[in-house]
Amino acid sequence: MTAIGAKPAAGAQMEPVPMAIGLILTLIIIAAAFVLTGSSMAVALVGIIVGGLLIGFGVHFVPVGGAPAAMGQAPGIATGVAMLAAGAGLAGLFGGAWAAELGFAVAIAGGAIGGGLMMAITCMMVTLIYVYGMGIPCASGKVAKDPISGDTQTEFKSQGTEGHGLPFSSYVGGVIGGILGGAGGTLIYLELLHIYEDKLPVILNAGIPAEVKTVAVSLAGIFAIGMFLVNAVLAAYNITGTTEGPADPKFKRFPRDIVASALASAVCGIVAIMIVL
Amino acid sequence: MEHVVFGIGVTALAGTLAAVAGAAENTESDIGSQGDPNSQVQLAPQMGYIHRIFNKAIAGEPPAYGLWCALGAGLAMGFMLLQYNPVLAIILGSALTVLVQGVYATTAYLGRIASLSKFGQPVYVDILKSMTTVTMAHAFIAIFTTVAICYLMNAALGHPFPLPLLGLVWGIALGAAGSATGNPFYGKERQYQLQKFGAGVPIAASGNIVRYAEAGQRNSLDNGWFSAKLGGPASGICFGLIVFLELWRTVIFEGIGAGWGAIIVGILLILVFTIIDRYIEVWARKTYGPYAKPEEAKS
Amino acid sequence: MTVKVEVKAGGMPHNNIMALGLIGSLVCVYLTYLNQLGNTQVFSFFGALAVVFAIVWGSNAIKVLCSYGIGTGVPSAGMMSLGSGVIAMLLATRYGIAAPIVAVIVAGIIGAILGYIANNVLSMHIPVMIRSITELAIVGALTLMGFAALATGSFTLTPLMSGAAGFSSSFIGASIIAVAFMLGGIAIQHPFNATLGPNWEQDRMLMLAAECVFLSAVMMAIISFAFVGMMAAIISLIVTVVGWVYTYMQFIALSKRDAAAWLDAKPIVEPEVA
Repeated sequence: MTAIGAKPAAGAQMEPVPMAIGLILTLIIIAAAFVLTGSSMAVALVGIIVGGLLIGFGVHFVPVGGAPAAMGQAPGIATGVAMLAAGAGLAGLFGGAWAAELGFAVAIAGGAIGGGLMMAITCMMVTLIYVYGMGIPCASGKVAKDPISGDTQTEFKSQGTEGHGLPFSSYVGGVIGGILGGAGGTLIYLELLHIYEDKLPVILNAGIPAEVKTVAVSLAGIFAIGMFLVNAVLAAYNITGTTEGPADPKFKRFPRDIVASALASAVCGIVAIMIVL
Repeated sequence: MEHVVFGIGVTALAGTLAAVAGAAENTESDIGSQGDPNSQVQLAPQMGYIHRIFNKAIAGEPPAYGLWCALGAGLAMGFMLLQYNPVLAIILGSALTVLVQGVYATTAYLGRIASLSKFGQPVYVDILKSMTTVTMAHAFIAIFTTVAICYLMNAALGHPFPLPLLGLVWGIALGAAGSATGNPFYGKERQYQLQKFGAGVPIAASGNIVRYAEAGQRNSLDNGWFSAKLGGPASGICFGLIVFLELWRTVIFEGIGAGWGAIIVGILLILVFTIIDRYIEVWARKTYGPYAKPEEAKS
Repeated sequence: MTVKVEVKAGGMPHNNIMALGLIGSLVCVYLTYLNQLGNTQVFSFFGALAVVFAIVWGSNAIKVLCSYGIGTGVPSAGMMSLGSGVIAMLLATRYGIAAPIVAVIVAGIIGAILGYIANNVLSMHIPVMIRSITELAIVGALTLMGFAALATGSFTLTPLMSGAAGFSSSFIGASIIAVAFMLGGIAIQHPFNATLGPNWEQDRMLMLAAECVFLSAVMMAIISFAFVGMMAAIISLIVTVVGWVYTYMQFIALSKRDAAAWLDAKPIVEPEVA
């Protein structure tokens, strides 16, 4: 992403009142769904919210350094956090959608593994380029010791930088982020697909439900992508664009994003369900 | 059995196309100077370094390629609905998309440079003419191959998503893989060629990009020439592996254990890549050695 | 902690652009309804004009929002705009002739909640955050509705879901909406992203916004050959191509006006050392 050169705005503190309001609004929306549309829709909405939470939480794991990472000035992957997460999550959605006919659990797991595999390959190639292409070892700028491998970091940091490359905990974070994103995207897709396959034939007066299958797939797919992007961008705002993954102090901000993702997914989810009511 | 053999063939073809797509994508974005390294091209005039590098700030590579591939696939879909032959439809769709990409590239360059007039950075029209056409050529390869992969997934392997949706998904994935792998190589290794090898660029050096070539003045074609040697192929391997392994594990192992076979293979693959990554990291720590003693690195 | 980029004097105030964009966009979307009234499809091109109004407004809204540091790239705002807009737009298509109005209302509600989340729950504390995200969601919804009308001549659900050769060859069934999504998502962020800098000028950015939309609409008009009659598609194509050529020429002229110098095959001009 192109840097715009102004300081990020989001502070690190939690604000209890807006968070409480957010949670209450989420509960009201779920209750409204239950009253207005019945329990099956409310369960589907909860599924969508869980999917949104997985996406938002997953983005916090993805190590992204933004523009400085491209110069080896900061650790992480050199691209935008929302879009990298989208790349992994949508690759997962691809796998999950493909496995949709094999049952719920297989599809979710397929989506998760699809996202995780995409991130594993990408992160491995990033390390490979840093080490063999540029001769730069991995070093974190935020922590002295890698929490997973236990490697010390500071002495591998080159002068005048905040670290570079992907330390092992960032790599693991990337894979976890991909897994969560892929699972979340697939969950949203499956919940919506199920609803649309049920209801669309009625709305469109289609004699054979199979005829509208592509419409249901397409509609659920575009909604899953739209909600994925909304959740990923909100999570990116929460960590102000860059993070080193789970070892980063910014990771502790995730409770805020849990509330944010829950409310955002609830709003988008109920609207997506109302389309076929 | 025949079905599986057919699937393996399609998987291999898709993986190959993906490798070409990744390589072309990264070379295109480096010639255009798109993505994160472009922040330095943008910064240089402010620091007093007037340059002749392209400045194609369309968006990050993932959203930009999301658009190119979705648009290419959408146009191809439109032509197919008009009963065009799929191959012809994909070529026409990709060619039309490249026009959009080229126009976006020119407006990005003109817009960014015109907004930098305070620092005396002039618009070089010859840069616009010669770079844009080369990025368009590379973009065509990347878009055509990606849309072709999407068509294979939908028509040959039976993925439920319609073509434009697949284009959107794999376009974003292509941009993410290409920018993640290729950006550091262009950003550190080429733009800051004069900085010490084997170390990150000190923040104090930001904006001091290399502006002169072996002979004459460097333009972005020189950067494409450079990154086509490692950054491009590495991006190609990255995206090729992603597409190939994702399809391979599904096509071959989905029949085992009601779908769980593909998932177990996926987990094993992730573990393999984790081990490779850890090996590379430890190798680098041992071989390159610490830069400083922990106490001295505090500065 | 917010850093305000100095606002250029002399530009059109944002409120005026917003009013123009909202009303212009709604009027143009409704003009495509002449298709249904006259039982024809030749008025589809008004969909393109609706998107022009919407995105010109949206690009200025992004400028207002991104003048404060939002911590990540400008493109993310465009993605969120369309991501929330697509949900509102699809719900609105259920409501027949009221669809554009419903789209504005639903997108407004979604946008306001997302803005509240970003501003208060995520503690971004940007004064224009709630308003900007609301505006961007509405822009996203109107953009998609305009593209849908351009491609199919209609903005209601049933025509969007049923094509000539069954449901799978429709605007939604064939996922052409994904193309509209990305065309809008890039077109809305590109004008500001491509002209940001110390010498940013509003007229140049808004001209670029119109150019991006016409360019996208040319592509959508080509796709529309699959959905509307030959005559209607050719009219849409001519209107969008003419609009694109004009705005592109204008944008180049404005860039020439603002650029420090316009050189062809000249060496690097080193700044004079003070």
